Amino acid sequence: MSLLRYESQVREPLVDGHKTYHDVTEDICKPVEAAPTRLWWIGFIISVALLLFGAVSLYKEVVYGTGMWNLNKTIGWGWDITNFVWWVGIGHAGTLISAILLLFRQGWRTGVNRAAEAMTIFAVICAGQFPIWHMGRVWMAFFVMPYPNTRGPLWVNFNSPLLWDVFAISTYFTVSLLFWYSGLIPDMATLRDRAKKKWAKAFYGVASFGWTGSTKHWQRHESLSLVLAGLSTPLVLSVHTIVSFDFATSVIPGWHTTIFPPYFVAGAIFSGFAMVQTLMLVTRKIMNLEDYITISHIENMNKVIVLTGSIVGCAYLTELFMAWYSAVKYEQDIFFKYRIAGPYGWSYWLMMTCNVITPQLFWSKKLRRNIAFTFLMSIVVNVGMWFERFVIIVSSLYRDYLPSSWSVYYRPTIWEVGFYLGSFGLFFTCYFLFSKYFPVIAIAEIKHVLKKNGESYKEQMDGIEEQSVEEFAHEHAHAH
Amino acid sequence: MSKNKYWQSFGQLNATKAYTEDAANEFKEELPFEMDDNGAKTPRRDFLKYLGFSTAAATLAASCEIPVKKAIPFLNKPADIVPGVANYYATTFVLDGDVIPVVAKVRDGRPIKIEGNELGFTKGGTSQRVQASVLSLYDTARVRFPMEKTGEGFKEAPTYEAVDKKIAAALTAAAGKQIVLLTSTINSPTVLTVIDEFKAKYPTAKHVTYDAVSYSGIIQANEVSYGKKGIPSYHFDAADVIVSFGADFLGTWLNPVDFAKQYAGKRKINEKNPTMSRHFQFESMYSLTGASADERYTHKPSELGAALLALYAKVGGAVTAPAIADKRLAAGIDAAAKELLAAGGNAVVVSGSNDVNAQIIVNAINDKIGANGKTVNYGTMLNYRKGVDAEFEQLVADMNAGAVGAVFIHGANPVYTYRDGKKFADALKKVSLSVSFNEREDETTAECKFILPDHHYLESWGDAEAKSGYLSFIQPTIHPLFKTRAFATSLLKWSGSTVADYETYFKAYWISKLGGQIAFDQALQDGVMEPAAPVVAGASFNGAALTDAVAKLSAAKKGGKHELVIYQKVSIGDGKMANNPWLQEMPDPLTRACWDNYAIVSPETAKEFGYATQAELDEYEVNPPKRVLKITAAGKSIELPLIIVPGTNNSTIAVATGYGRSEKVGRAAKGAGQNIYPFVGFNGATYEYVVADVAVEKTDKMYDVVQMQTHGTYDNRVEVVKETSLAVFKKDPKYFINERMAEIGPYGGIDGLEEKGTLYPVFDKPGIKWGMSLDLNLCNGCGACVVACSAENNVSVVGKTQVGKYHDMHWLRIDRYFSGDMENPDVVFQPMMCQHCDNAPCENVCPVAATNHSSEGLNQMTYNRCIGTRYCANNCPYKVRRFNWHDWNGADSFKDNQNPLVEYGRLNEVTLDMNDDLTRMVLNPDVTVRSRGVIEKCSFCVQRLQEAKLTAKKDSRPLVDSDIKTACQQACPTNAIVFGNVNDKESAINKVRTQEGYNRNYYVLEQIHVLPNVSYLAKVRNTDRTVGNHEEGHEAHGEEKHEEKKEAATEAAH
Repeated sequence: MSLLRYESQVREPLVDGHKTYHDVTEDICKPVEAAPTRLWWIGFIISVALLLFGAVSLYKEVVYGTGMWNLNKTIGWGWDITNFVWWVGIGHAGTLISAILLLFRQGWRTGVNRAAEAMTIFAVICAGQFPIWHMGRVWMAFFVMPYPNTRGPLWVNFNSPLLWDVFAISTYFTVSLLFWYSGLIPDMATLRDRAKKKWAKAFYGVASFGWTGSTKHWQRHESLSLVLAGLSTPLVLSVHTIVSFDFATSVIPGWHTTIFPPYFVAGAIFSGFAMVQTLMLVTRKIMNLEDYITISHIENMNKVIVLTGSIVGCAYLTELFMAWYSAVKYEQDIFFKYRIAGPYGWSYWLMMTCNVITPQLFWSKKLRRNIAFTFLMSIVVNVGMWFERFVIIVSSLYRDYLPSSWSVYYRPTIWEVGFYLGSFGLFFTCYFLFSKYFPVIAIAEIKHVLKKNGESYKEQMDGIEEQSVEEFAHEHAHAH
Repeated sequence: MSKNKYWQSFGQLNATKAYTEDAANEFKEELPFEMDDNGAKTPRRDFLKYLGFSTAAATLAASCEIPVKKAIPFLNKPADIVPGVANYYATTFVLDGDVIPVVAKVRDGRPIKIEGNELGFTKGGTSQRVQASVLSLYDTARVRFPMEKTGEGFKEAPTYEAVDKKIAAALTAAAGKQIVLLTSTINSPTVLTVIDEFKAKYPTAKHVTYDAVSYSGIIQANEVSYGKKGIPSYHFDAADVIVSFGADFLGTWLNPVDFAKQYAGKRKINEKNPTMSRHFQFESMYSLTGASADERYTHKPSELGAALLALYAKVGGAVTAPAIADKRLAAGIDAAAKELLAAGGNAVVVSGSNDVNAQIIVNAINDKIGANGKTVNYGTMLNYRKGVDAEFEQLVADMNAGAVGAVFIHGANPVYTYRDGKKFADALKKVSLSVSFNEREDETTAECKFILPDHHYLESWGDAEAKSGYLSFIQPTIHPLFKTRAFATSLLKWSGSTVADYETYFKAYWISKLGGQIAFDQALQDGVMEPAAPVVAGASFNGAALTDAVAKLSAAKKGGKHELVIYQKVSIGDGKMANNPWLQEMPDPLTRACWDNYAIVSPETAKEFGYATQAELDEYEVNPPKRVLKITAAGKSIELPLIIVPGTNNSTIAVATGYGRSEKVGRAAKGAGQNIYPFVGFNGATYEYVVADVAVEKTDKMYDVVQMQTHGTYDNRVEVVKETSLAVFKKDPKYFINERMAEIGPYGGIDGLEEKGTLYPVFDKPGIKWGMSLDLNLCNGCGACVVACSAENNVSVVGKTQVGKYHDMHWLRIDRYFSGDMENPDVVFQPMMCQHCDNAPCENVCPVAATNHSSEGLNQMTYNRCIGTRYCANNCPYKVRRFNWHDWNGADSFKDNQNPLVEYGRLNEVTLDMNDDLTRMVLNPDVTVRSRGVIEKCSFCVQRLQEAKLTAKKDSRPLVDSDIKTACQQACPTNAIVFGNVNDKESAINKVRTQEGYNRNYYVLEQIHVLPNVSYLAKVRNTDRTVGNHEEGHEAHGEEKHEEKKEAATEAAH
């Protein structure tokens, strides 16, 4: 191993504790191999219960009609599409961490990328539920698929941003899934090799695709990771851009805004990182993975949060400025009379507080490294981001062009809320299953950074750091 | 048996080898399943075939069974019925005294739509009630056979003959006592003669006319002033100045269809020489007519007499008028008086009051200003209402005294509409024989001993004389649906007539009168018979009673802090048609509320009752629950939610009649509102619809009032509504053009906007291009078009709960905007439907292309394609798209999913009513009934357009204007809607846009470049006030600029 890849002691280690390769394998595989804990069962049962409630809510909606929700002739989208955009946003962190940070060679990503990617996939699955089930005739949902057919033939409308969503999200989901799964293969092989039970051997055997750990496999694996990272990077930017087109291409004041694509992407990363924080803080605690998901990981992510939160804040102010500057009275009315004030004014200020004001506290290093505070903030940010979407969708629609059509107050019904809760159920059911049966941290990748960024390695470097230049030069003169 | 051998071929005869082989292998072609080398029966290559076949078979076997509905063709087809082709029959809508000549559209034996008869005096106009009447034919709550009371309930009587016998016996027993025919106003000449025959047979018989809402005041005043006991006809088309004291002549007073037509003639703007009649309205609550007025003043309800006397004094009457404290009102009376005098007889004063003295003063004023014989015509009397209140009071007294032996009730429903319904019900119990001919088991009918249901007018023969000399005929459009019998037939039977039934009587009467079968057939075919020119005559005014009237009015009781006004809603009226779901769901033009009545108060008064702060008003605006008020007068009290209407007099609380019906009336009327009739007063001569002093308390209760529009003003959005005063428009005919140019001038201006307002190429639009124009000056907001649209296009009724959720389905709505000073605001009505934008924002966002553009400029909805994302509805700037939130029509893939919703309280019972097999007969077979989960909207009545195009094509001629009328256009009593092919230079729509209405023409929200195909003509009011609430001083964006742009555009084109 070359000492030319020397890393300064000033940098904090990415893996704490004096871990050997074997320790890493043991630490990460243990939760998978051991029987589920009590806490896991409690969490899992709650999640499944929520999922079932969601299923009942959907049953009501599908059988009796979208009227089971309180949407109306003026507000055609409410909680449904708010939840959709919110979940899609959350689904951004995983790919950002795995792809963009991979390309930028950010070693710290290894501690969190696996769980973040899993979260992405589950979030996208949850997100996908909303545009599907919000359809009035969901049994005709396949009409959005462009394939030759005998229904006319009924061809899709490529002008519709909603159709772009179909492609954007399905592509994103596919690539994220592939990326996640290709990273899992070496770890699956590890689990296979350690498995003692017959079903586990069979399951991990199939799941690892015959991975032997040969150099050839590793080389192909690395290339594939890079290719997928290259593919995913534009997707991270494109998906939420396209989601924002649903609004930006419309004629509704408050929607018709060119700032939406960057604003949505920043917001998505913002909420995605917050969600990763929420999950990671719980996971590391419950699964004793504090050595792998360290305080510096948390701090790094908090830095991303304060950055994206500030971008989002700028976007909010820009919107207000543009509304004034445009001199379009319909837009001015929406922003100044009915968004920051009016019946839904409270939601705007809730959004502002959660997304712009409170994240600024992360400028303080002490707070960035405070776990309890970070956990609280991660929740606050996602509440704020939910309200951002709610504000955009509902407070633009409810008072648009013709005052005659301004809406009555929109409150969700129990079935609307139930659908949202059900999506949490789906998400956490998936996440609990994932954390039980899959390694939540990328074993192979942690081992990859262990040697040069791990605490044990860094300690070995102490002696070298204290050497004089001559000594060092002498000792290592023959290394190559 | 013969041993002969029969053979088919030589091969068989000779049993050749080839033949035997062939015979053994009869089906030579190989089955598609090959045996492969290994001899496996289903080789790999056949796997897909098997898979495909079994999947298809399984799908077929398992697919939902589609219920088989049989359509049985005629065995012998009647000559004049072609399945799928509509027949039209002229007939007459008659409801109590109301008469409108109509044409019924009959498809496959079912009347499905009512249109106005253009030959009649209403010239094709209709009202919302006329439009809705076809649904009442199929009302599930109609009494279906004769019934007799046994114990508490009714039992079916076996036959009419059996009932006739019983009644004949009872009539004999009642000899010596009064026999009373209690009817609502009857203006059928034949029925009146039948009644006379009946009276001749029974000398103690008398005919009492009782109207739910009385016009006794006018009738009696005319008897006093002119010796003519009746109502004169009015000529609003001859009036340059109209002064109305609370007469809602465009909404509910006498015959609004007729009046609206006349009125519109003087309101239509000729741009070359703009003139208009001038309309003053003095009233306490905001009426539909008040909304059209140029100058509107409010007064306390108890101040009416003083106001009338003040006006009388100003026009030269020799009276000392009581002082008017309200300066604005006093100034208004001054102004009205000046103009009335200046009009030289071309003016009219009308009053909605039922007070004889007030009407005498109105007569005196009309006489003073020379209207008598000009705009007020005693040569032709109106027959809409004939009831004299004192006669009915006498009847109640007689009944209570036991002087009445038999009472026959037709049309009237006093237990519900009388001020003391219980008193009448008790009196009715004292009458040994009581028979109701009403079509349903209403409140009065429930108290009678027999029910002999009359036909619906669409099942009847008959005639009506709306005004003297104006005859219209009723012919059946369908065989009676139930075992019903004409009222007059019963009378004929009981009076021992030789004529078998009323039909025979009616035909004989008119054939002899008109001089033959041919003339009779012609009359039936036309539906009307009218004098060539109206008879106009004055009458000599007798001022003798004037002093007394003046004294009584001057001595009128001062009003209290709150005064109650009882009014009729434009939709429900007196409540006769309360079980009509279309009418119940038609929002009131002013309050935009439906399915209930409520207490209307002014914003100022509302402050007392919990709506003072802005926050409270915001709450009020966006939430259906409204504060409930308790109104008490003369020991009676009622609790009603309040609704705030700006422009209501501060002391006034207004409540509509027609609500609070009994359960038996039907499932639509059930639970809707409360009955206000008990608050009607009686002054010894006539009923009073004003209670001068009521106590009003705020309660803690809240009650949902559902409205289809919650925000009241147009908030300075002049791209939506344009209005100005006649003076401004005369001075600056380019006023509206300048206003438009201010917005679109930089983007190509009026003519260049389409091309210059976009980056995209512009397409030619050859051939037909449909367009519609709505004249805001002519639209009075009555809502006939709204109901017509529902009837024509099978628009679903959603019920109160769903309207409260803002889930109403109306394709056409009439937006109401208040503007100006909120104490005395103006109102603009704006009919709003799909604008069929050429650059439609809904079209490009639909992922499945379910809504798209036709080559004729229609924005069309393909229900089968729609998957219900609602994206189009969100992106519609006009918010005209309607989503099927629930299964309104039983047309869903999920069967029987309505009942649980009704039980759960999310749907009202009216949904079940509308889905009854009987009610569904009203559906228009040319229009798809939409299923749940799809979007729908105005189609410009595409089914009518297709039919018109086909007719023109069959005749090998180009399409002309007269081929097409949309349902709304046809229903409109004021011809505010013009529709046609814009590309046709000769079409009315083209002329309106390019010539006649060029200066007032505008498109709503044209600046967003959606290029609507619906245009509006801006509203002009004949007033000196500043109209609307837009900023002062439009800059001179100028015609020059417009011209410049035009030139630039032309240059660019070269």
